[in-house]
Amino acid sequence: MRGPSTGIVYGGLKYQARCITDVKADVDHTSFLAGTLSLKEENEVHLIRLSPSGSELICDGLFYHPNEIWDLKSCPFDPRIFSTVFTSGETYGASVWKIPELYGQSNAPQPEQLVSLDEHSFKIKSNMLVSVLWWPSGKHDRLISIDEGNIFLWSLDSSNKVAKVISQESVGMLQNLSGGAWDPHDRNALAGICDSSLQFWDLRTMKKTTSIEQAHIRDVDYNPKKQHFLVTAEDVSGIQLWDLRRPKFPVKELPGHAHWTWAVRHNPEYEDLILSAGTDSTINLWSIRLPGNEGSSSESLFDSPTTLKDSLINSYTDYEDSVYGLAWSTREPLIFASLSYDGRVIVESVKSFIKRK
Amino acid sequence: MAEGVPPMDEKAKRTRDLLASFYSPDASAALGVGGGAGVSPRRIASPDSINSPFFDPEVYMSILVQKLNMEGLLQKHVEMAAEIKNLDTDLQMLVYENYNKFINATETIKRMKNNIVGMETNMEQLLVKITSVQSKSDLVNTSLFEKREHIEKLHRTRNLLRKVQLIYDLPTRLAKCIKVEAYADAVRYFIGAKPIFEAYGDSSFQDCKRASEEAIDLVIKNLQAKIYLDSEPIEARAEAVVLLKQLNFPVGLLHGLPIYTCFSPLVDNLKTKLLEKLEDYLLKFQDEYKDTGVSACNATESSDIGQLPDTVSVGDISKIIRAYLIIFPDSEKRLIELVQKLFNRRYGIIQQRIKERMTPADLLNMMRAIWEDVNVMDEILAEAALPAFSLEAARSIVQQYISTSFSYLLDEITDALGKSQQTQKEVVEECPYQNTLEASKKTIIQGSLDLLLDFRQLLDDNLELLAKLTDLIVDWVQEGFQGFFEKLNEQFLVLCGRGYIANPDSCQVDAVQMDKVQAGLVLVLAQLSVFIEQSAIPTITEEIAASFSGGGTRAYEHGPPFVPGEICRIFHSAGERFLLLYINMRTQKISVLLKKRFITPNWMKHKEPREVHMFVDLLLQELEAVGMEVKQILPQGLVRRHRHSDSLGSTTSSRSNPTREDKLTRTNTQRARSQFLESHLAKLFEQKMEIFTKVQHTQESVLSTIIKFCLKSLQEFVRLQTFNRSGFQQIHLDAEYLKNTLKEFVDDEAAIDFLLKEVVGAAHERCLDPIPLEAPILDRLISIKLSKSKEQSQTSP
Repeated sequence: MRGPSTGIVYGGLKYQARCITDVKADVDHTSFLAGTLSLKEENEVHLIRLSPSGSELICDGLFYHPNEIWDLKSCPFDPRIFSTVFTSGETYGASVWKIPELYGQSNAPQPEQLVSLDEHSFKIKSNMLVSVLWWPSGKHDRLISIDEGNIFLWSLDSSNKVAKVISQESVGMLQNLSGGAWDPHDRNALAGICDSSLQFWDLRTMKKTTSIEQAHIRDVDYNPKKQHFLVTAEDVSGIQLWDLRRPKFPVKELPGHAHWTWAVRHNPEYEDLILSAGTDSTINLWSIRLPGNEGSSSESLFDSPTTLKDSLINSYTDYEDSVYGLAWSTREPLIFASLSYDGRVIVESVKSFIKRK
Repeated sequence: MAEGVPPMDEKAKRTRDLLASFYSPDASAALGVGGGAGVSPRRIASPDSINSPFFDPEVYMSILVQKLNMEGLLQKHVEMAAEIKNLDTDLQMLVYENYNKFINATETIKRMKNNIVGMETNMEQLLVKITSVQSKSDLVNTSLFEKREHIEKLHRTRNLLRKVQLIYDLPTRLAKCIKVEAYADAVRYFIGAKPIFEAYGDSSFQDCKRASEEAIDLVIKNLQAKIYLDSEPIEARAEAVVLLKQLNFPVGLLHGLPIYTCFSPLVDNLKTKLLEKLEDYLLKFQDEYKDTGVSACNATESSDIGQLPDTVSVGDISKIIRAYLIIFPDSEKRLIELVQKLFNRRYGIIQQRIKERMTPADLLNMMRAIWEDVNVMDEILAEAALPAFSLEAARSIVQQYISTSFSYLLDEITDALGKSQQTQKEVVEECPYQNTLEASKKTIIQGSLDLLLDFRQLLDDNLELLAKLTDLIVDWVQEGFQGFFEKLNEQFLVLCGRGYIANPDSCQVDAVQMDKVQAGLVLVLAQLSVFIEQSAIPTITEEIAASFSGGGTRAYEHGPPFVPGEICRIFHSAGERFLLLYINMRTQKISVLLKKRFITPNWMKHKEPREVHMFVDLLLQELEAVGMEVKQILPQGLVRRHRHSDSLGSTTSSRSNPTREDKLTRTNTQRARSQFLESHLAKLFEQKMEIFTKVQHTQESVLSTIIKFCLKSLQEFVRLQTFNRSGFQQIHLDAEYLKNTLKEFVDDEAAIDFLLKEVVGAAHERCLDPIPLEAPILDRLISIKLSKSKEQSQTSP
């Protein structure tokens, strides 16, 4: 299924880019943050806003960022705060930034660095920082940063610009962390992507609770509406849906992409919509049927995984390069933004597919 | 002429429309029918259109005057005049035609009138004649009536006389019967005469009656003696009992109870004795049958299964049952139970034997033997409804036979596939997968055809029992194939570790052991699926259509039970899925290799490249292994992609075995020329090259897909790193080397060049100081590596 190219293109990013995020706390506008990835040039963070008519993407702020951005997250309770993970040459760093008041002018030179999360030891090569996580469901003063070997839990005080490490856990020599997700239903649960498995931690004790044995995971996303459910994206085997209460086998498998499936995201409002981005330069929109009704947690409903019905609704193929960045808008749940490696931001609406159902 | 036709048509049509509008009560409807649907709305809409019913001459005129100049108006006038004239002549024609028809109708009516006039007189004559015939027949009837009465009277008298004669003869006749011991006849005669004796015995036939009763007493005595005599055969004794029973009532009347009372324990005794004997027979019979069954199994000679004991035992049993039935007609129920039990056991034996494998001939023989017995039994014991009972049993037996046959075939195929997997681990064969594939193919097609042949035998046999089941058998066979192929598909899934629904533990194990064996097997399965889709199903469908068509006792509700289209679809998708799975398994392995390659070194501190990195060798080794597997199993692609080097007009084809050096130098020089062009073309036309095309079941397609996936992965891995100058140069060198070597695997040079360029491009982007290696150094390093690998390949063939 090849959808008509209805996307709104934002060509403002001058360099290659990997990360885009939805500004969740911005209740007045549908806006996204995108960060560039350029070795040699000065990198930028763009605040992109969808015009009220929904037909145009406007650059609402352009901020210089000293290093190339590998991870970018917006604070879920303050629209002006975001976090980045960056590299410069061999060194890695993570910071929390604050967008300064704009007073009409559109490009402030550099955002205010609130906190640098610099407890990560950068001496050993393997400790490459991979991501910073905010608790996705609201105001929470904790922050998690993940590097290849460690998980740090920070306590953030944005007004006083301090962050303290509360606890830390090393995953051990044999495992390399490459990403993670924070359970929106339980602020003490964290999923971390390891080499050969998906590990879960309890943040109170910093101990592993359970794990899903699945190699080559690229991305993981919790179902925001349904506890215990999450989705993973793998290099080769596509997309898999899991029920954490039965971690042995996936509830459902989707074919994913022709090459690697890089990112996968649940829709924040419609629990049966899943979006995936792949290195085959496409974005796929899936409709899944999870067993059981809203809020139901009875075990008996999960007996027959074969009865689940789901399908590829649409494939967006209007990209020139691999798509790494993917974000649903929280404000308008039927809109998502995507970012391909060549720096093109495309915002699409899935409304037409929803109505048809 | 050709010009004249269309206006004529149009004219005729218009005339028709006008006529229709005239004759039809609803003018608009007539118009709707007459003029085409596309024309009518326009007509209705404009009052100036001359053909519309809403035509307004005033408006039309004013429009004409406004629109046209003098000349136009004049021309229009001439046109219209001509048209009006035409219409007039048409109308005239129509009037003439109508008049003609009217005259015809009048004539017809006149003729009809004439014909009817003569009819009434004829009818009256007929009535008169019929009444006269009736009166005459009555006359004849009355005249003959008296004579007929007389004849009937005479006849009755004669009958009476004959009866009297019979009764007078009775004593002598009874005596005669006693003399020859034909007691049955004696009893019959006596019972026949009994009503007369009862009516007139005291008066006219006193003597006769006394004599007859004496004779009968003698008969009874003789019969009693016979019953007590053990030496008599059972049938005779049974007969005697029956005769006594028939005489029972009058005997009881004449002589009081004593005879009957002494008679009844005797009967009971006989009854139990007979039953015991019968049950004894049945047991023996079963034992014998089991023995023969087993022996027939051991000695493959099966023609005489149950034949010998049958003829003996069943004959005996039938005799006993007949006797029993005569004596105790009320105890049929028990007998029916016994007989049904017997046949039940026999069918049970067959069902057990079906579980082992047996030929249809065996089955047929056994069924036939039993069917013969059933027929024998049915003659005696029709109430047992044995044919219906056996039909039911045969039905389940045949059904079971068919289903077990299919499950055996499934097992065979699984064995063929599984065996290869085991032997392969131990013995290194030349091309194990090919053997497996061929063996499985043969098993599938041969096994299916054999099964069909077997079932065909069942159908062709003229056994009455099976003939009734023909339709059902056809249905079962078709259903069987449907189920068989569905199960086969599931089995395939289980074999490649995907069907964890059926076997939840195997998935985990298989997923871990995604080693060579598994991957090859998956490819075998892929090819097998294609084979089933493309040749096995059509062959079987043909075969079924030839000999198993019809059937369909319930097919009309659900469609035919065997749907080759559906099976083809299942296996088509399965084939594609297995192929993708194979590619995934292979690329995953290579992916791990690449990942290690890119994660281990510190690319920021990379040393200057001295040679092509080792991972390239590993990659090529993997690809070679894939190539080996693919070559064993998949067919060569028919359409080879056009080579770039060929298209440049070289006289020697690249495949006409030039030496490697030749080839290299040639392609090098040609590449120098073509690269510039190519890079531009790539940028212009192949901005988004379709590298993820649909995989086909050919060696080339699979191999090139795997290579494309790997190169794409390579690009993605490169994008995740940051390089110093030497790191970039290393990547560049590796890519250049790959460019040469990969071409030996695939023909799709353009895609490989494109992807490798992307890899180098990605490295370039991710490099802090991207200065490429100088061309001579690059070439030298590559040629060193090439010669080295060539040496290696020569030393180790």
